[in-house]
Amino acid sequence: MTDLKIKILVVDDFSTMRRIVKNLLKQLGYESIDEAEDGEQAYIKLQNGNYGFVISDWNMPNLDGLSLLKKIRSDPAMKDLPVLMVTAEAEKDKVITAIQAGVNNYVVKPFTGEVLKEKIDKIFDKIST
Amino acid sequence: MSDESDEMEEIISEFITEAEESLDRIEPLFVELEQVGEDKEMLNDIFRSMHTIKGAAGFLGYQSIVDVAHTSESIMKKLRDGEISVSTDMMDVILQAVDMLRILLGHLKDHDGIEEDVSPLVRDLDTALVNAISARSDITPTALDEAPVSAEAPDAVPVEAPATIDPFAAAAAEIEAIDADEPKGPSMSDDALEAALEAAQAMRDAETSTVEEIKHDIPAAIKVDPPENAQAPLIAKATVEKAPKPKDKPQNLRVDVERIDKVMDLAGEVVLVRNRLLNISNYFDQKYANDPQTEILTETVSFLDRVTSDMQLAVMRMRMQPINKVLSKFPRFVRDMSASLSKDVELEIQGEGTEVDKTVIENIGDPLTHILRNSIDHGLESTEDRLAKGKPAKGTVKINIFQKGNQVVIEISDDGKGIDIENLKRLAVQKGIMTSEEVKNLTDDAATDIIFMPGFSTKEVATELSGRGVGMDVVKTNISSLNGYVEITTEKNVGSTFRICIPLTLAIIQALMVEVSGLKYAIPLSPIEETLKVSKDQIENITGQNVIVIRDKVCPLFELNTLLGLNYNGDKSSNSDYKHLIVISMGEKRFCIAVDKLVGQEEVVIKQLKGIDTTSSYVLGATITGDGKVVFILDVGAMSRNLLGSSKT
Repeated sequence: MTDLKIKILVVDDFSTMRRIVKNLLKQLGYESIDEAEDGEQAYIKLQNGNYGFVISDWNMPNLDGLSLLKKIRSDPAMKDLPVLMVTAEAEKDKVITAIQAGVNNYVVKPFTGEVLKEKIDKIFDKIST
Repeated sequence: MSDESDEMEEIISEFITEAEESLDRIEPLFVELEQVGEDKEMLNDIFRSMHTIKGAAGFLGYQSIVDVAHTSESIMKKLRDGEISVSTDMMDVILQAVDMLRILLGHLKDHDGIEEDVSPLVRDLDTALVNAISARSDITPTALDEAPVSAEAPDAVPVEAPATIDPFAAAAAEIEAIDADEPKGPSMSDDALEAALEAAQAMRDAETSTVEEIKHDIPAAIKVDPPENAQAPLIAKATVEKAPKPKDKPQNLRVDVERIDKVMDLAGEVVLVRNRLLNISNYFDQKYANDPQTEILTETVSFLDRVTSDMQLAVMRMRMQPINKVLSKFPRFVRDMSASLSKDVELEIQGEGTEVDKTVIENIGDPLTHILRNSIDHGLESTEDRLAKGKPAKGTVKINIFQKGNQVVIEISDDGKGIDIENLKRLAVQKGIMTSEEVKNLTDDAATDIIFMPGFSTKEVATELSGRGVGMDVVKTNISSLNGYVEITTEKNVGSTFRICIPLTLAIIQALMVEVSGLKYAIPLSPIEETLKVSKDQIENITGQNVIVIRDKVCPLFELNTLLGLNYNGDKSSNSDYKHLIVISMGEKRFCIAVDKLVGQEEVVIKQLKGIDTTSSYVLGATITGDGKVVFILDVGAMSRNLLGSSKT
């Protein structure tokens, strides 16, 4: 079971999407959820806050999800931060690119709370083993 | 659970608003794309918006929206990646998709449950895509085969990299292997995805123990751009410096309009209480000037005064939005109109960042559209006529928005033929709107106002686009309802300008309190040019109309108590030798109202009165004054229209 107290950062440029994801997370019992509207804002937030998990959209202005992921992985302070990537299609080459960049898991829109839970649990299971 | 369904309702309404905003933002880009050609930034912007709308709609289960957005997105992706080129046909069909998305969002908003059949549109989009692809000779046949929608980037997986030293390439190979069972297509199943992740993780764990080491391996086989890594510390430093000021990036919070309006309402009430307290405090100040408590009261009240003003401004700004929200649809509108009228039209917009009240945003769209349509249809000549006159073939319509004092001015000007005033007069008589006698007395300024009269259209044959004379009178009504006014200046063969002036905020205004026949009234301050005290013998009478000469200019004068039908005239002050005049200027029109007394300036909160015909009663609304009395606020716009609208002496 994942710690429900971890601080989660939801990154998406579309505020409705942030709200949907936040809502799903709340339904799963997570309490501490913050949002950022693009990769740039997310990166600034991640540097200052004590986040335990990032759910990021891929397509965003300024700094997209992949670039954010790369920045996270190359920053010694947050290189181990689990990242779940959200996109509209599971395009093979995109998935591979994301895996290469070190994504922890990948979820395709639209998804249900259960799917989200499954993904999060898998990520944290792997980390703890 | 009502909490959850409320949350869902809110999410849906937020989705509608946000999706509409996205469409508003991208729509002008289409027109720009046609003009500037392929611009990757713009194409990507449109792609991203479609993509995002699709994503959120998928969550909410709006399949039609998903379908339309998805097909459009696929086209935009190909445009962005340069696989197909921008063409008018392509833009047309994508614009239709944008329209369809608006319709679908509209149904959601209205809860009307109407379903649209989007399949013909989706087919059109697909056809356009296929055509665009075949137009490109350099496209491979395989790409053609899987052209519509499903066609994503062909398999370009870098599996060739030496697998032994690179865990990720191996993972990629793994995906290939797992994916072999899957139906041929670019998407992967969840199982394949999981397996790939699994494989990547396993390799990572086996081959290297830290991420650092993995990274060390990567550049050899796979391009994880080293420059980016090298840059990382720099970026980190820059952002750390920024960190102490989190305000660097504006944070937005979406709030229900009703809540803001509630705050606005309460702020209005506080203003009223503040006004009353100021009155009381003044009273105590005069009566108990030596009491130290009075001083404290005065101080406290003046502090409240300042804070209230600041609060009012803050609330007002909360309701203000850039007018661009309304203007963004115009490039598309002009494009469509110029195409259907075969007129070459250029639209120039200035000052689109000017902020106006939300109510103005909501109500100014239609009047502006009408005026714009009028300018293009009636104002601009046909291309042949323009060339014959030695004008450039391309007509220009300019929209210029700026703030002037506490008013927002919107000017729409064209470089067309100007308004033919004699023709206007002739038509007014012909249509029975005015008698030939009335028309004769019209000044040119007053004659242009014929355009705004109900049932008037200058074109004998109303075109499909300009309608049948409905419109321009609605323009005037709509703008009046915003406490604003519209005026026209025109010059033959040079062009016409429609100038709309609207007060910055609608709810709280500065007013001049006046007294007439013992009753108090509030007059909005913004149209007041000046106030004068004149002796009665300065007032002259020309053909039955009282006038006063102010600095060599004749200005018509009206008694407020006559205007308001207050026959009670025995007040002592009105018997004095002096009159207080308020000079009102509404654009080019100027007139004076005579009152008994000027009471002073006050900030008033307009409370709308239901069931009052403002035009005939000259009452805009009511307010509660500092001394707790209900006072009517006068509608000088209606006065100006009624008194000067049709004739001038």
